[in-house]
Amino acid sequence: MPTAYPLPENVSPATVANTASLLRIIALGLISAAAIASRLFAVINFESIIHEFDPWFNYRATRVLASKGFYEFWNWFDPTAWYPLGRVVGGTIYPGLMTTSGVIYYILHALHLPVDIRNICVLLAPGFSALTAWATYMFTKEMKDDSAGLLAAAFIGIVPGYISRSVAGSYDNEAIAIFLLMFTFFSWIKALKQGSAFFGTIAALFYFYMVAAWGGYVFITNMIPLHALVLLLMGRFTSRLYVAYSSWYAIGTLASMQVPFVGFQPVRTSEHMAALGVFGLLQIVAFAQLVRAHVSSKQFQNLLFVAVVSTGVLGFFAIVGLTYKGWIAPWTGRFYSLWDTGYAKKYIPIIASVSEHQPTAWPSFFMDLHFLIWLFPAGVVMCFRALRDEHIFVIIYAAMASYFAGVMVRLMLALTPVVCVTSAVALSTLLDTYLDPTEPTVNEKAEPVNDPPSTNVPVTPKKAKKLKDKETAATARGALGDVVSSVTSAAGGSTTSPKTTKGIFGLDGRVAVLVNALGLLLFFVVHCTWVTANAYSSPSVVLASTNPDGSQHLIDDFREAYYWLRQNTAEDAVVMSWWDYGYQIAGMANRTTLVDNNTWNNTHIATVGKAMSSPEEVAYPILRKHDVNYVLVIFGGLIGYSGDDMNKFLWMVRISQGVWPDEIQEPNYFNNGEYRVDDRASPTMKECLMYKMTYYRFAQLFGGGQAIDRVRGQHMPANGPTLDYLEEAFTSENWIVRIYEVKKDDVLGRDLKVANAFGEGKKRKRTKPIARRKAIAA
Amino acid sequence: MRFPLSAFLSFLALANNVFAKSSTGDSVLVVIDSSLQKEDYSKFFGGLEERGYQLTFRGPKDTHPPVEQYGIPGFSHVILFTPETKFVVASRCERALSIVIPAYTFDITPQSLVGLLSEGTNLLVTLSTKQTPLSSLSAEFSLIPPPPGTPLVSHHPARSEPATVVPIPVPESPLLTPGTPPVWFSGVPHAFGNSPYLVPILRATSESFAADSFDDSGADTLVDASEKVGEGLWAGSQLGLVTGFQTLKNSRVVFAGGVEMFGDEYANKTLPDGAPSGNEKFVRDVTAWAFRETLALRIDNTTHHRVGEEGSPEKYTTNDQIIYTAHISAYDPETSSWKPYSGITDMQLEFTMLDPHIRIALPPVTGEPGKYQVQFRAPDRHGVFKFVVDWRRKGYSFLQTSTTVPVVPPRYDQYPRFLSAAWPYYAGAISTSIGFFLFSALWLAGDVEGKKKKGLKTE
Repeated sequence: MPTAYPLPENVSPATVANTASLLRIIALGLISAAAIASRLFAVINFESIIHEFDPWFNYRATRVLASKGFYEFWNWFDPTAWYPLGRVVGGTIYPGLMTTSGVIYYILHALHLPVDIRNICVLLAPGFSALTAWATYMFTKEMKDDSAGLLAAAFIGIVPGYISRSVAGSYDNEAIAIFLLMFTFFSWIKALKQGSAFFGTIAALFYFYMVAAWGGYVFITNMIPLHALVLLLMGRFTSRLYVAYSSWYAIGTLASMQVPFVGFQPVRTSEHMAALGVFGLLQIVAFAQLVRAHVSSKQFQNLLFVAVVSTGVLGFFAIVGLTYKGWIAPWTGRFYSLWDTGYAKKYIPIIASVSEHQPTAWPSFFMDLHFLIWLFPAGVVMCFRALRDEHIFVIIYAAMASYFAGVMVRLMLALTPVVCVTSAVALSTLLDTYLDPTEPTVNEKAEPVNDPPSTNVPVTPKKAKKLKDKETAATARGALGDVVSSVTSAAGGSTTSPKTTKGIFGLDGRVAVLVNALGLLLFFVVHCTWVTANAYSSPSVVLASTNPDGSQHLIDDFREAYYWLRQNTAEDAVVMSWWDYGYQIAGMANRTTLVDNNTWNNTHIATVGKAMSSPEEVAYPILRKHDVNYVLVIFGGLIGYSGDDMNKFLWMVRISQGVWPDEIQEPNYFNNGEYRVDDRASPTMKECLMYKMTYYRFAQLFGGGQAIDRVRGQHMPANGPTLDYLEEAFTSENWIVRIYEVKKDDVLGRDLKVANAFGEGKKRKRTKPIARRKAIAA
Repeated sequence: MRFPLSAFLSFLALANNVFAKSSTGDSVLVVIDSSLQKEDYSKFFGGLEERGYQLTFRGPKDTHPPVEQYGIPGFSHVILFTPETKFVVASRCERALSIVIPAYTFDITPQSLVGLLSEGTNLLVTLSTKQTPLSSLSAEFSLIPPPPGTPLVSHHPARSEPATVVPIPVPESPLLTPGTPPVWFSGVPHAFGNSPYLVPILRATSESFAADSFDDSGADTLVDASEKVGEGLWAGSQLGLVTGFQTLKNSRVVFAGGVEMFGDEYANKTLPDGAPSGNEKFVRDVTAWAFRETLALRIDNTTHHRVGEEGSPEKYTTNDQIIYTAHISAYDPETSSWKPYSGITDMQLEFTMLDPHIRIALPPVTGEPGKYQVQFRAPDRHGVFKFVVDWRRKGYSFLQTSTTVPVVPPRYDQYPRFLSAAWPYYAGAISTSIGFFLFSALWLAGDVEGKKKKGLKTE
């Protein structure tokens, strides 16, 4: 048999297999190391700190778990959040993340390794990313072979789409959820392939872990039934499918109901109905199979027809009836916004106000996935080629996830694993084809094609640069398998391998394609490293800017302000801010907040929005009613930090308008349709508390010069707003955080505006006695 | 040497507190205008000293002793016998330009007086018919001074004194001794604004009015003017003469329409019917109230706990039975001490989260003086609640207390374990278990033939 390049001879098959497995282990180890290492940029560039917003709550909850134990955590009622409503934390969170860290913490302490809980939290995400790489490897191995698995593991290890949610310090549910997602899918595929109740149970257990860890578990809840349904419709019902699905659904659902936050949702909400329906359908189909084995085919067909129609109609009406009666909750708003991207903006501004819920911009696909994005369709095509049960799973996954990733930025995370898997399949097929040393025989005798499944493969032109597939009989064998087989055949001297008629001649074609592929991979690595270092490693608690000389300048206003609160205010002081900063205030300043990032109560958030967007005298009673001591606003106008409260202000207006349409109207905050904050700002805007707190004394900073708001690029009037009901308590170095203290009632019971005028020595207008007797005198 | 001295001083302060007449201290600063003679008020000042007050006199232009130093008030009470002292430094600008020569030193301004009140100092302010800083200060207390130069005038009852010296009957009031004879008054009345913190002590008689002329010729024009201009009528018993005001910090201030009523002359003057006047008694009662001798209440402590338990828990569970207790005492000027007080019958307790979820009476416990107690069930609603007692009655010290306590849902093991309503499910689970067991037993113990058939089928 002709080969394109010489193969080593006299190597025993055992040696080859051992070397291959050693290389696999080393490769996996290196991939894990790379995955962890690239996520440490955040720690190296900044420090070991919890990032962003939600992680601060998770961290705080983990601290409670570590210090007070699991049962206290389970029953934790947090009186300092959502004041004065409080938050039943144990029943409103996914405890998987905290429990994981807590278990690690207890194990390390049992081993007398006194590791700080913060470091565990910071490094949890990188650690789990290594596990994700391994789970992806296992999953992809089921799709194709080891080499594709290794590629997929390498991709998922460093792809920015996943790194964005799992850098060190990004202590969020997604940190462990992607591993659980991939491992559940792997177990499901394994269970389906083997018809194994054991793997079905494993899948159920990891599904339970996933339910306990992330709200995105609904994705699994719908993916697996969808896969089962498609298999059913394709006529691929087997007892393997029945065993795998039944064991997964029964155990998984029962287990998931043990999570307090989920409770009875699996049997009562529309999102979970698909899984239940498919479970019922499988029982019916299995029963029908049983009946078919016992009755004649004519009878069976009649029976089947009647049964299918009646159960279908009954089931449909049952679900409609139950939904109508309120036994099954209808779809939630977040779900509707998945189908209609304008829905949230119209009806639930609080969902639309989260930047993560915006539709994805096209460049971010390239930013997050780089060249994988165009290998992805190729990989899906590869799956269509083989189209075994597991490939159908990947195809469905790819279709669903691409849609969702297009709708919401946040769901890019769900797309990333399948992109890595399919791209790895595509790239590994390419490499298989071009690394295969076997040269095609020149076809003289028009010998019939004898490799079994590949029937429709078009004839590959010589030296084609295009990506083409070479189907091999044993799909499980990849390039390595080919090498092994050719080595063995060379060593054994037996020419059992069939003579191929399609393939690549010579070395030059191979080298050209392989060098290209390698170049792409190298660029991918460079891109991933660059994106990770520059875009995704900022803790957003600490901001970085560049000095004129190129050195890094850290802006640490947030922590400065939070520590000020921590050290200078009463321990039970209540701080009001927009909900974005609730978790950070609770975590860093340890003070009571009105609203936070767990946006469960729209009215309470709208109340804060109303206070912010109303004039002082309207806002003051609201503040006093909620016992607010301090109000915190974020202002980026001095240094050009665009994520400040004035830019979010319209969302506050919209959300409160949803609750008080008579008092707050969005158009009032515009001047002829323009969002202005300078002297052309609308009167409502100039009067509202947010505007006043933001620009209070701002013009004075410029010492008579023209004050410029750098974020909105507008010139501020020289006479800024005045405050009567609040007083400035703290402003951070770069004016990013401004804290105001709410004044107490005047000791004389006067209106504070009057009291202030008196304090400044202004003459009071003479009042007249109330003419109570006038009617009598007349 | 320093330490023993300061210790001695603090001992002195302590001793003073123990024997003080007032519940808040006995040092009094009397700012007296140079036009007034201290001797003319000997009965008043003597009475105060007799009651244990230490009086310090200074003129409005003096700088020593200061009313306030480094934000700490120098005296517990301040009496301003400066009804006609005119100028006050109103603004920095005026001070810089020296437009006016101040009659008050810098430390007495309307702003600083309000500052004293918020620090807990009590004030006694006397007004006159002239427009002074003090009369504009009274506007801050929701008192409405009449136009300048309009004293109270009354022709009833017929008497030899001029019409501006009026005998006023003393009304029934918790802060005045019952049966006080009418008092002589001469000065300016004021109308009331709508502040709920005003405590009218002495009102004008219904025949009296405020006018700038002493004969009756202007009376009708006054009525006409008030109708045309829409100004309220400066007449009748709606006008106040001596009015108290209690701030949210429980400090008290009294505005008296004239300084003469404190003097010896009016105290010795007999009423038109020949009886002695009640001035001496009246001004004593007024100062006793103003300096927080009488009607001074306080909440000593509040406790709350579950029924059948001791000590306040960190948090309550919904539907807990809670006992709330408050201990209230009143100041007894006779013994200069706080004594348990059970005289409040209309106090209420609120259990509040944004709105009161529970509002119930907090009655005194019979047999235990000063103790007020109530038992109630916590609402079936979790959240951060406050026990709020907010008792405000005219003349009395305000009683306000607020204790924050979270009410949490039951713990995971506090719910009932077995529900009778769930028996269908229990029955289902048990029957399925038994059925599975029986089926397995039958299956495993079944004959070999069945196994063969099954084996064939799966192939």
